[in-house]
Amino acid sequence: MTTVKPILLAEDNPRDAELALAAMEEQHIADKVVVCHDGAEVLDYLYCRGIFASRQQGNPVVVFLDLKMPKIDGLEVLKTIKNDVNLKPIPVVMLTSSREERDLAQSYALGANAYVVKPVEFQQFIAAVKELGVFWGVINEPPPEGSDPIE
Amino acid sequence: MEWFTHWSIERRVLAGFGLVFAGIVVISAISYRNTAVLIENSRLDTKSHELVQLLGSVGEALGAAESGHRRYLVTGDESYLTSYRTVVEQMPEYLRYLRSLTNERAEQQARVATLEQLIASQLAAEAGAIAQREKHGYEGVRHLALAGAAKNEIEGINRLMTELDAAEQRALYDRVAQSAGSTKNTIALLGLGAFLQLVLLASVYFLIHHDVAERRRVATELQSRGELLQAANKELEAFSYSVSHDLRAPLRHIDGYAALLSKAAGEALNDKARRYLQTISDSAKQMGQLIDDLLVFSRMGRQDMLRTTVNLDQLVKTVLHDLRLDLQGRTISWTIHPLPNVSGDPAMLRQVFVNLISNALKFTATRPETKIEIGAVRRNSGEAEVFVRDNGVGFDMQYVNKLFGVFQRLHRNDEFEGTGIGLANVRRIIHRHGGRTWAEGAVDQGATFYFSLPLARSLK
Repeated sequence: MTTVKPILLAEDNPRDAELALAAMEEQHIADKVVVCHDGAEVLDYLYCRGIFASRQQGNPVVVFLDLKMPKIDGLEVLKTIKNDVNLKPIPVVMLTSSREERDLAQSYALGANAYVVKPVEFQQFIAAVKELGVFWGVINEPPPEGSDPIE
Repeated sequence: MEWFTHWSIERRVLAGFGLVFAGIVVISAISYRNTAVLIENSRLDTKSHELVQLLGSVGEALGAAESGHRRYLVTGDESYLTSYRTVVEQMPEYLRYLRSLTNERAEQQARVATLEQLIASQLAAEAGAIAQREKHGYEGVRHLALAGAAKNEIEGINRLMTELDAAEQRALYDRVAQSAGSTKNTIALLGLGAFLQLVLLASVYFLIHHDVAERRRVATELQSRGELLQAANKELEAFSYSVSHDLRAPLRHIDGYAALLSKAAGEALNDKARRYLQTISDSAKQMGQLIDDLLVFSRMGRQDMLRTTVNLDQLVKTVLHDLRLDLQGRTISWTIHPLPNVSGDPAMLRQVFVNLISNALKFTATRPETKIEIGAVRRNSGEAEVFVRDNGVGFDMQYVNKLFGVFQRLHRNDEFEGTGIGLANVRRIIHRHGGRTWAEGAVDQGATFYFSLPLARSLK
């Protein structure tokens, strides 16, 4: 492993982003995290365009996706990712405040790999983000880059 | 007419229809009777006409007999007797006919009887004269030849026949007058009947039209109300979604930054400052809990409900199993009576038992020995009354109405924890099942919570 694959965090609320980063810092994985502030930015990152045109090629190890975001919302981003053969293997974890059944059902129907409700309590929130970061960023083996079909 | 205005519309309609119907029945009966009279009169008229005709024939026949016998008396020519003999032969037949035509009127019959005697005596007198002529020749009957043998009888007969005829004509005239009146009457009544039937028909049309229009109006209104309700429901859903998503974020931030501050400032903070930070964080958590409870409460109200047979015995066993962690380190004596099968939503009813049993456990925590009893009374009205009884701190009956309210609490938070949503959820779920909830208790005497549910149909 010469390059560290990044964790992509899609979070429109800067405070939530900061809290999540604070949690990941404790696990020393914060430097791997790329933060996007809306759905359009997430897609720009994944397709290496706009402000991410010159970034290093390759998919993130995991995408943490908020549901409610400006421009393009989480469900739409999820749909785009899971309908693209190159992006499809990326694990997507929905990280949201909503525990509405409808959101859960729609997310899984569109191919989300996990669904996590952000706890109100900070200690629990930290615990959740830590575990997620460690599991998806360190423990879980991502799909091999070479096997990605190339258009 | 005051009584009439107090009647319901159905009663008025019924009364109106009854009146019109009775009117039609009376009119039909009178018309039937009138028509029967007309038919009877026409039968009697036929008879009268026949009688008048017959009287003419009888008169002619008698005249022929009389003139025949007189010619014979004068001439002695036997051929003149032919018509006389024919009349004598025919007379019984004529008389029988005469009797039958007058058999319904006594006065005419009396006349006919007299007439018969007179005719018999006329014919007898004439027969006597004829015999005299044969025996003694013209000279023997000379005194009779001009006037005829039965001059007296013939006068009587003519008078009687005139009487008979006049009486019959009178009867005819009377009947014609009666028939004309009756016909007029019938026509008027039939007109009235037709009018009443038209009224009836018009009322029926009006009622049906009114009914259909009313139904259509109600259907339209129901539909528009349904649409309004659906819109309101959608709005409520959007509201609770936004509550669930947007209200939680700032709370998370408050708690999160309080924790970060406490970590960053570290040793620099004194105890007081640390306590303030702790309070901020506790309040944020409490509000988070309140929001979660409120969301559950709102979901209980709009969630689709299942209707199946629920085995309450099994349900209580599962709930106790799920609560086993809360039971650790407690001395509890359970009394669980057999429970009936009810009709309802298993997940919702499970929530009811979780809330009631958790409450019972919570409010008995200060007791050295906890006693909890669960049972049911079956009512014949297809309903079961279930109760959960404990020997806990109980409550003052004067606050019983507050027990099932949203966020209503009878205890301070430092006595017993909770947001006050549990019993509100119980009431909401039971109401959606068509049941009732109530409670009994006294301070320090324990509490009993009751709810009623419809029994499962198969076991009624």
